[in-house]
Amino acid sequence: MTLHPTVLALPVAIPLIFGALGLLFQSVRPTRRVRIQQTFTGIGLGANLVLALIFLVFTLSGGRMAYQMGLWPAPFGISVYLDALTAIMLTMVGLLSVVIFPFALATMDVERARAGFFPLMLFLLMGANGAFITGDLFNLYVFYEVLLMSSFVMLTLGGTPSQINGGIRYVVLNLMGSMMLLLAAGITYGTLGTLNMAHIAVRMGQAPYLVQAVIAGLLLIAFGAKAATFPLFFWLPSSYHTPHPVVTAIFSGVLTKIGMYSLFRTFPLFFPWLLNDWQPMLMTVAGLTMVIGVLGAFAQPTIRRLLSFHIISQIGYMVMGLAVAMTPNEFGVGFGLALAILFLMHNQLVKTALLLGGAAVELEMGTGKLNELGGLVKKMPVQATLFLIAAFSLAGFPPTSGFIGKLGLLEVTFSAGQWVIAAVSVVVSLLTTMSMIRLWQYVFWGKPHRTQPNRSGRAPHNAMLMTTGPVAILVALSLLIGVAAQPALDMVQVAASQAIDRVGYVQVVNPELTATDLQSLQELPAANAWRTAESAGG
Amino acid sequence: MTEIYLRLVDLILTPVIMLIAIMLFLRGHDLPGGGFIAGLVFAAAIELTILARGAEATRERYGPWMTPLIGVGLSLAVIAGLIGVYGGGFFHGMWIEFYVGGDKLKLGTPQLFDLGVMLVVIGMAITYLLRLSEAAEAAARPLPTKEGGQS
Repeated sequence: MTLHPTVLALPVAIPLIFGALGLLFQSVRPTRRVRIQQTFTGIGLGANLVLALIFLVFTLSGGRMAYQMGLWPAPFGISVYLDALTAIMLTMVGLLSVVIFPFALATMDVERARAGFFPLMLFLLMGANGAFITGDLFNLYVFYEVLLMSSFVMLTLGGTPSQINGGIRYVVLNLMGSMMLLLAAGITYGTLGTLNMAHIAVRMGQAPYLVQAVIAGLLLIAFGAKAATFPLFFWLPSSYHTPHPVVTAIFSGVLTKIGMYSLFRTFPLFFPWLLNDWQPMLMTVAGLTMVIGVLGAFAQPTIRRLLSFHIISQIGYMVMGLAVAMTPNEFGVGFGLALAILFLMHNQLVKTALLLGGAAVELEMGTGKLNELGGLVKKMPVQATLFLIAAFSLAGFPPTSGFIGKLGLLEVTFSAGQWVIAAVSVVVSLLTTMSMIRLWQYVFWGKPHRTQPNRSGRAPHNAMLMTTGPVAILVALSLLIGVAAQPALDMVQVAASQAIDRVGYVQVVNPELTATDLQSLQELPAANAWRTAESAGG
Repeated sequence: MTEIYLRLVDLILTPVIMLIAIMLFLRGHDLPGGGFIAGLVFAAAIELTILARGAEATRERYGPWMTPLIGVGLSLAVIAGLIGVYGGGFFHGMWIEFYVGGDKLKLGTPQLFDLGVMLVVIGMAITYLLRLSEAAEAAARPLPTKEGGQS
């Protein structure tokens, strides 16, 4: 299978063009305008998913490619790069958008739809796709800004006071994260003289340890803030419960996961040795993220607040996988990263399913407060069942994707000799189970506290299929990964092996490199040898 | 209502500032200027109208066109990229040259992209300038009496 490299422009171009076409009709009569925008969004999301699936097939058969925007050659122009990791992320986010779309059609209220919710979905997708596919550090920052702006508008769409409050916290804390990324890009350009990721990878090994540490630290803070890891997660629980429930579902599948993806992309490419050097710190971050997330979830009074703390908790597992990515173990170097990618996919599916289930409850009952809900298992039996399966998947019960992901991560951390974090992750799994059962019990079990018609938007009753269908698809996919674990593992192993293959990345993006450059990429300094060489030299 | 001298200034200066914006747009690419700056200057011209005639009148004149303008701008930018595909790659610069009485003129896809940027900036800037002015005018209005309004 061969693809013309120009198609790599499409993941950004497709959402942009359909979003722009939708905006053209903003002055048309409102009911028609919304219908037109919905049509464009539907077409755009569908086309994007088809494209992403083509990319996935292409990369899983071993293909990788790069494209130079505007045909400016590699270190000078902006490169975009496609490998299996990129394709998996493009597919997952494309899939989630397509699945959430009917749910949004059924439940989005008139004011928000008229204010332009549907084109915004495409702009968010464009930002996400751009951040996945770019091969340029500054361009990555630009796409983070696109994401931040469209998600900020989505978050405050509707303009209730709590939304404005949450939106301001969200945007201020995220802007600080973006500032760190910009600072890292500036320092990279000032010290290494390049922003092209392949070029950075070549030159990073020759830079002094201090420069490496500063850039790596800033990137860790920036992406860590975006991914909501331990000290920097405050923006998430203070904003995710405020917008329309569908928006929360979109955010949980897209936003924090892009921060994780950027960590997966940049660390193994720029400074794989630092993943070993900094392993204790990364493990601490991972452990604290897990523990504090899950403990925070116990204290939450509403469905969405509770689930947003679980988002944070689950991010910890991915950081754990990343931390052992370059550690030798019996499964081979990079297996930790493969499992972290698998866990990320699992989390996108399950967390979105849970939030959509929660959204259905919230829209049906008009409230998400746990002590005002109860006994919904009779009223919404399908949603209750799906929610239970998704909850068990999140906790890591077989035969779901959560089981495969957690078991694999446990094995690889054991094998790498990281007993403490493995123990922490097991305890956190147990706590997650308790918390999810508590949530299910509050919402679906027991006696109905009160029954009242839903207050916001169209009645989800009229659109039973459109609200349960998406959740069912996501839960089915989670079960599919759990049952067909081997194909899924093969897939993420291809992705991880490509992600840690620095020579391959550089050769694809910039084929005109000399042999000595590639030599320096291959022989990595061992962690301690590097440090002693530094202290001896200085 | 607004002062007469402000309206006079608006009448004279707004077209001039708009011309400056167009000039900045045209001299971009090689010299300081370009779509972004031109869009901001153009929005400044319309802000003068807002100050002189009030947000309501200005919204009647320009308001409905602002969001479609953003759409047009974004479409133009993508089209500029797609024209490049014809020349070998997405966003590849394509130029045409022609002579007007001995002077060489160049038109190209980067200019089209810049035009798109300019339209997006105008649309965005005026949308929020109008909203800000409306909020400011509402705040400047005398408070409603107790029985009419709510706390």
